[in-house]
Parts: sequence; C-alpha cells; structure tokens
Amino acid sequence: MIPLLVALPLLFAFLTLLLNAFRVRDGLRRALFVLGILSPWPIFAASISQLPVSTVVGGWERISGIEVALNDYNYYFVLGELIVFSLVGLYSVGYFGAERTAGHPERDFTSPYIFSLLLLLHGGILGAFVSSDLFNFYVYMELASLSSIVLVACSREPGSRRAAYRYLMLYLLSSFFFIFAIGIIYVKTGYLNLHLIQQNLVPSQEVHMAVALMAVSLMTKAGIFPLHFWLPGAHSKADTPVSAVLSGIVVKVPLYGMILLLSYLHLEFMKNPLLVIAFSSMFFGIAMALLQDDAKKLLAYHTVSQMGFVLLGVATLDVDAAIFYAFAHALFKSGLFLGVGVLVSAQNTKSLDLLSYRGDKMVMAAIIFLSLAIGGISPFIGAFCKQQLLSNLHGFGVYLFYMAGVGTLVSFIKLNYKVLQPTKEALSLPALEKIIAAALAALTLIFGIYFYPQLDHRDIILILLAVALFFALRHVGLFRRQIPRFFEPTVRDLGREINLYTGVYVLVNLAVLFQLLY
Amino acid sequence: MIESITGGYLTSEVAGIILVLIGLYGLMTKSNLVKQVLAINVISTGVVLYFTKLGYVEGGTAPLIPSEVMVDPLPATLMLTALVIDVAITSFALALIMRMEGSP
Repeated sequence: MIPLLVALPLLFAFLTLLLNAFRVRDGLRRALFVLGILSPWPIFAASISQLPVSTVVGGWERISGIEVALNDYNYYFVLGELIVFSLVGLYSVGYFGAERTAGHPERDFTSPYIFSLLLLLHGGILGAFVSSDLFNFYVYMELASLSSIVLVACSREPGSRRAAYRYLMLYLLSSFFFIFAIGIIYVKTGYLNLHLIQQNLVPSQEVHMAVALMAVSLMTKAGIFPLHFWLPGAHSKADTPVSAVLSGIVVKVPLYGMILLLSYLHLEFMKNPLLVIAFSSMFFGIAMALLQDDAKKLLAYHTVSQMGFVLLGVATLDVDAAIFYAFAHALFKSGLFLGVGVLVSAQNTKSLDLLSYRGDKMVMAAIIFLSLAIGGISPFIGAFCKQQLLSNLHGFGVYLFYMAGVGTLVSFIKLNYKVLQPTKEALSLPALEKIIAAALAALTLIFGIYFYPQLDHRDIILILLAVALFFALRHVGLFRRQIPRFFEPTVRDLGREINLYTGVYVLVNLAVLFQLLY
Repeated sequence: MIESITGGYLTSEVAGIILVLIGLYGLMTKSNLVKQVLAINVISTGVVLYFTKLGYVEGGTAPLIPSEVMVDPLPATLMLTALVIDVAITSFALALIMRMEGSP
C-alpha cells in the first residue's frame, strides 16, 4: 500500500507531461494535476488505522529489498506534507493560470511544466518521508530538491536564476558529501536499511565521522546558519505557491534525515555543536529578518530562524519536539507565504512599505493568526511546540529560548504594523487564494487546541514585551537601516559567492570533524 | 606498475578522496561558472571512484555467474543511480548558466 503513496503523484506527473505533448485542453490538464495532488490521501487514510506499517517493495527480504514505512517518526511529516501540498495545489491552479498568461499567452511556455514539476516534488518529498533506507532517502531527497530548484528557476522574478544556481551548487556539494558518508556507513555495517544498520552498528571514530558529515550536509540542505546562503534568495524569488512549499515542506526533508540519524544512528556525540548551531541559527535568522524590507525575504529569514528551533529539538535529543515543531512550522510558514503572496500579487510589490492588508478582513485575520502561531502564543500550535522544546532546556538555555521567541514576535509585529497602513485604492483579492490562506490559519488554531488546550498567561507578558521592544527599535531607527551589499548582482560576483560559500561549507565540516577528536 | 611507484598507498579509495579535494579546490578558487560545474563533476567522479573500490574484492569476478569470489554489486548499482542524477544536473546547470547571461 505505502509504495502507492509515492507512485501515484509520480504517475500523474508523467501523465500531465504527456497530455501537454498532445496539446490537450488546459482544463483537463489542471484537473489531472489536482487529482494527482490529492491522490495520496485515500492511501494515507487507509494506512493510518494500522500504524506502524512497513513493507519491503516487491516482497523481497529486508536484507535485499527497499523498505518503506509509516510510523511514529514520519506520520506527522506525511500528514503535514499532504495538508500543505493539497492547499498549495489548489492555490497554484488559480495562480499559474491568471498570473502567467496575463497579456502574454504566447510567452507562457513554463506553466505546463510547472504542474508536472510540482507533482514530481510531491512524489519526491513523500518518498523521502516514507523510506527506511539511507540510499533511497537520498534519491528521493535528490528528486525533491532538483524539482524545487527547477521551480525556482522558472520564476519570472529578476535574480531567480542566480538564486537557483546558488541553491543548485550548495545542494550538489552537500549531496556528494552525504553519499560519501553513506559509503562509510555501508563499509562499516554492510547495510543501507536503517533497522539493519542500527542492529549492526558498532560505534567507532569512522562511524562518528560519517554521521558528522551527513549532519553537516543535511544542515546545508535545510538552510541552517552558517550554511543558509542559498535559502533567502531561493525562497523569496520563487513564485508564491512554490515559496510556500519550499519553506513549508522541502526544508523538512533534510530535517527528517536528521531525525533518522538521531533515532537510528548515534547523534549524542554531536549534542554540543548542534546546540550552538541551533541557537545561532535562531538568532541570526531573527536579526536578518528585522532588517528586511522585502516581505518575502523577511519570511525566508524566519525560515532560517525556525529551522534552528527544529534543530534545537534534535540537539536536545527529543525526537517528538522536533517532529511537532516541523509539523507546526509547515502549517504556519506556508500559510504566511500564501497570505502575504495574495497581497504581493494583487499590489505587485514586495516592499513592506507599500503592501497593505487594510480593507480585507479575511487576509488580515489570517496573517495576524499566523503571526501569533509562529510567535508561539497559546492556543495556537506554536505554543504547544515551544512547551515541548522548553521542557528539555535548563538554565541559560531557557532565557535564550524566550529571547528568540520575543525576537520572532518583534519581527512579526513589524510585518503587521507595516502592512496595516491604509491603501490608496480598494483591494480586490481572489477569493480562492484568500480562503486557502485563511484555512491554514484556522488549521494552526485547530491543531493548537487539539494538542494543548490551555491558555498561558505568560504569553501576554511576552506580547507586551515584544511591542515595547518593537517601538524602542523603531525609535532607534533600526528598521530604516540598509544592509550593506557584499556582492553585486552580476554573473562574475555569483561565481565569487559560490567560492566563499564552498569555503564556509568546508570550514564547518572541518570544525565539526575536529570536534570529534576531543 | 603504478603500485610500484606509489608503494601501494595510492589505492582507488585514496585517489577518489584526492579527486574530491581537487574538485573542492576548484569550487573555492574559480569564479567562472562553467569551471564550477566542471569542479562539481570532478567531485562526483571522485565519489564514484571511491564507491567502486568499496565493492571490490581481490580477484573477484562480476556477480553474473555464481563463482567462488564475487565483487559486491551494490556500490556499483548505487553509483549507476548517482551517475544518472549527475548527468541530468550537469545539463540543467549548464542550461541555467546559458540563460543567466543578460536575462533575469
């Protein structure tokens, strides 16, 4: 049953492309796309009654086959993926139709491929989430990332191709190190299946080295500071639905890999470096987000910061906290991208000074709800996840964690404050896209109440503190400050950027490996 | 022949790792985008060489006909998958570079 979860979207991706070659009517192609996006739901619904399930594809022995499973580790990942992808799929049917062909139907050569690529991405992500085999996980992660890189390159935004190139290079580099590490694990244990690896693993310096290499590669793919370079560009230059999927789901695939490393291989020896990286990612993301004027870039930097929160769950060796935070982040971040994206395409700007949601109550409510969810205010889903993360921290870590929470709130107060300004002309936003953004906002509230049905009075103090801090920072003039540009947007400087990023990647690898020696 | 020169230290695994390092050097020093794609390809060749050696058994034959000593086929098959991905990615990267000149 579970292999079909992956096979159906891939089949529909092929069919969409085939129909495109036969020049079938556009409506049929769109219907097929929606069908493909929704096709894993019945299989998922049929499997959840008998959790945990695992099968080896083709009925082979576990030793020689590829095992796929649906268990406690990936249940929420798959659920989050299906929810987000279904809503984003519906959103993109309207988006790529109206946006792309407006005025230039003859130039619209990419949108048929976009549907196919989105389906490939859907299948790739699901495949990575269900596989219990290291190499199979790698192949599906490759499929998912490659389709997302092509989707970024398809965007009409200036600079999108440079962002795609940056994404491609960093991602390829980390892929080769990842596969190199898989080779070491294979030599040491003789297996690629995670259960068999766990049974046959004898901890040694080589195994630790391999796990460290894998962890750094996965952190690069997840866009965690100091390996985040590709993320803000790629996530902000992509089309709105693509941004939502990239920030919501695609970065969760490598983090799921981290969770696999934590639960099947040993990650305990890396606890301290991971804690440092997690906290620095949280604060770096917030600091950069505070300085942004571009609404989508602000959200992209928050992804860097939020990935730090998920990594904090991994670093404190609490699998559940990491899983729930990843699930929560998938809901609220994709919702934020869609909500802000509705405004961006209606007002044709990404500048926070020009965007406005005044005059449209539904989008206003959605963005405020989602901002509260990402800030971890009860009863939204973020509150539950923050409680879980906090339960593992003590001493200094607790204060740092609260500071990061307040920082996130300040940044989103800035977003809402700026977007609250009155507009010159009346807003007319597409109904379906508004409803989808509002649906994601409602889901964060529903899941929040389901997991953690209580109100926390300390949240009010946090909000008041954040508001005070926001006005203090505004008074100081922090939000008017320009970030110095180190690289010009030329092809030559793009090459230099890649040189620098490779250097940082190598340095981080060396730092983590040296740490193993002591 | 090569064995006698290098004293047996240069196995294919070591050669693979050296290729990876050469590729990293290229990626860190060359700002020409096409050269960077080539550097990535050198890294991938190094990884493939490393993997092929992993499955090699001294005096082993291809695992088609049952015999006493056989090489491990799994690393080679894995590399087949990785090579296919490499070819696709290289062509995509080159197309991206071509489209990047001038346009967005």
